Amino acid sequence: MTAAAIEVAGLAFRYPGADDESLRGVDLRIEAGDFVAVVGGNGSGKSTLCKTFNGLVPHFWDGDFAGEVRVFGEDTLESSVSALGRDVGYVAQDFGNQLVRPTVREDVAFAPINFGLEDWPARTEAALEALDLGPIADRFTWQLSGGQQHLTAIAGAIAVAPRVLIVDEPVAEVDPERADDVYRHLERLNREHGITIVVIEHHAEFVARYARSVVLMEDGRVRWHLPVREALGRARDLEAAHIPVPPVAALVRALDPDAPVPLTVEETLAWVGANAEVAPAAGTEAASVPESASDPAVERAVVASVRGARHSYRTVVGPRVPVLDGVDLDLRDGERVALVGGNGAGKSTLLSLLSGLLVPQAGTVVVDGVDTRASTPAALADHVALLGQRPGEMFLTDSVRGDVAMFPAGRGAPDADDLVDEVLDRFALRPFADRDGRLLSGGQQRRVTLAIGLAMRPKLLLLDEPTSSLDLRSRDDVVALLAALADRIRCVAVATHDMHLVAEWADRVVVLEAGRVAADLAPAELFDDPELLRRARLVPPQITEVGRGLGVRPLPLSLDELLERLVLRPVGAVA
Amino acid sequence: MSAVLDRSDARGDTRTVASANRPARRKPRASRDGLSVEWVKLELMRVAYATRGGFLAVRDPRAVLAWYLIASIAPWFTYSTTTLALLFVGAALAAVFARIGPLLLALFVIGMAGQGVWVLAMAWVFSGEADSIAGIVDFSLKVGAVSLVTMAAFVSLDPEKASDALLALRAPVFVGFAVNYGYRMLPVLVDEYHAIVDGHRVRSAPLRSRGFLGHRWLLRTARIAVHSFYPLMLNTALRTRTTVEMLETKGFGHATASEAVRKVRLAHLRFGAADVLLLVATVLAIALAFVLGSAFPVLG
Repeated sequence: MTAAAIEVAGLAFRYPGADDESLRGVDLRIEAGDFVAVVGGNGSGKSTLCKTFNGLVPHFWDGDFAGEVRVFGEDTLESSVSALGRDVGYVAQDFGNQLVRPTVREDVAFAPINFGLEDWPARTEAALEALDLGPIADRFTWQLSGGQQHLTAIAGAIAVAPRVLIVDEPVAEVDPERADDVYRHLERLNREHGITIVVIEHHAEFVARYARSVVLMEDGRVRWHLPVREALGRARDLEAAHIPVPPVAALVRALDPDAPVPLTVEETLAWVGANAEVAPAAGTEAASVPESASDPAVERAVVASVRGARHSYRTVVGPRVPVLDGVDLDLRDGERVALVGGNGAGKSTLLSLLSGLLVPQAGTVVVDGVDTRASTPAALADHVALLGQRPGEMFLTDSVRGDVAMFPAGRGAPDADDLVDEVLDRFALRPFADRDGRLLSGGQQRRVTLAIGLAMRPKLLLLDEPTSSLDLRSRDDVVALLAALADRIRCVAVATHDMHLVAEWADRVVVLEAGRVAADLAPAELFDDPELLRRARLVPPQITEVGRGLGVRPLPLSLDELLERLVLRPVGAVA
Repeated sequence: MSAVLDRSDARGDTRTVASANRPARRKPRASRDGLSVEWVKLELMRVAYATRGGFLAVRDPRAVLAWYLIASIAPWFTYSTTTLALLFVGAALAAVFARIGPLLLALFVIGMAGQGVWVLAMAWVFSGEADSIAGIVDFSLKVGAVSLVTMAAFVSLDPEKASDALLALRAPVFVGFAVNYGYRMLPVLVDEYHAIVDGHRVRSAPLRSRGFLGHRWLLRTARIAVHSFYPLMLNTALRTRTTVEMLETKGFGHATASEAVRKVRLAHLRFGAADVLLLVATVLAIALAFVLGSAFPVLG
């Protein structure tokens, strides 16, 4: 048996002022060189547990701390956060605020310099190189997109080459292809340098592909710590903790509950290829073919229209950075539009233009018949609402109710009270109505922002990354709420990296690439175009990839759609 | 403040816009660079991070601190108006060549001009007693010279350089920390405030009209400024938490306690001949100003 990197015994912790313990009776042993995924619902104690590994708990959070945490044999209580920092790298979930230096390069160099590593310049360059941050190395960190900030934080932790690296949600806000890069890099650190990796991860697909063992957290306890294949086989435990099994595992299990749990698309294809066959498309198939939104036959009323929009922003030093470079786009009645593209492709800027908070430097944006140049953001808010990336910034009053009521009450809507009540009910926010939105969990905060948006009764609702950093239950929740908005809002556009959201919710995908619309098509068409996916740094959902690998046409977008087309071969039919 | 709320309101774009359903008085909005919150924010950053270069920015930060010390103390040792005027001119030249940028310069000029008007008003009201006016002029020159060299020095020191210099001079650890952290919080605060004010602009009721002499607009502006304070403080407090945690996680405390780290951090500092030359030239220039001051006194 190898040495333990982290040993936890009888750990309990209660935040000051909290009624319940966030961690209770935790015993855990993480072997040196392991790649551990910590899973569990929002609020199960995952982040708190990981903060005990580098001493942030209890050194920075005084609460009731009991038990013992040892890192390579050293008791964290007797050490300090910055001494532990040499051995334990930590990347927090809050990506923007963990950057402490002005530029990307300086931030990455910060920790190596602090630990007195003489080769810090080389380490810095290597870390920048590894995550492809060279082109933005001299940019100021607060002007980066969320994904770029997150990559910078990861590069900063990698540059130290600690013995344990803890990453709280490595791929939140990162575009899908770079998400794979991040994980591949973590895997390389793990395999080649023997660095123990601990990730908190909501995406079961990444857990399946990269982790070697899984810790399931539930109500502040470690439910179990198992090798990954065994862990993903425990579907019932995972589902009880709101961690759906990876879609490929669910697929194989649905076909044959006794089959071995596949971890990757390749394993799934091998098993399905040997044990099942694709049924011909049923007669009803035509109905389920997603209508291409760009179909000229279905000409619906235009809600918003962007013509030749260009935009760039000034940086602290150097020339303007162009973000949008001639975008033409019409958003129509009844559409559910997903804006996708790599980090920095211009998604958020396009949303700002559509909301009227920004006006384009060239070209026009017309929303609900109003040219944004001829109006003010306040007047445009009657037509369009933008829900930003950071829910915290939407909370302007000291209660959820106050925030939801702000817009309708401020405009003197006669039915404001009824409307607020209805919206609070609809989003199940009554229990929190008098609490400060900032103090809610991530999933609850998203619900509140959606409620604020709905209470504005816009024609066009714009959302920036509504599902990032949510556990799958909260995510499904948001997707369901979005779907249910259709009756109240004429058009919803979402900027997202979440391909499941694209597959399950959107009926039209607009791919942005280097500030232009690179493609405008239906989700199934997008996932069937490998060249486009590669260029836009997208990775299709596993189910769609399996469907493609099996030659299922049209491409399935959900597990059920794929299951409909697969038939298990009778036992013995395979040699 | 008005810039915050007016950021995207009408200003000087003659593009015709095909929209009849907005009041005609409103000119089309344009995306612009000058005099917007965004510009103020960037300008603050340019100042804070010494991005414009200049004769002090290229010097060793210890030399800059020493230069600042000499140049800011000198005016307090004289009552000669000639000397003070010369020092003021020298400080102004230093500020220009340190490239302090339009924002600081404008604030300074407005401040000085206000002071000048005040002095003239005093002189007029109290029918010009020469001694008291001379006193006020002297004091203005002193404060002006010190302000100018302060701006010149701090525009030339980014937080990294400032804390390196403090570390090299063995200042207490918390001083370096405060400098670093203060600079770090600056963009956070400005960004947060911007986001909150934007939220208010969008979600609170729009103005039907600006009111008599714009009083409605003023009232709304004031109300938003007050209402923004609560979320600003709370959001910033929450964000600060992560930043402080990460400073520690990345070994900031470790760095300040270790002599080896101090060496690595300061390895890039070079106090060269040019730095010596700068300080010698400064001392000589100041000495010259004192000599000239006693040779050619003005106003007693």
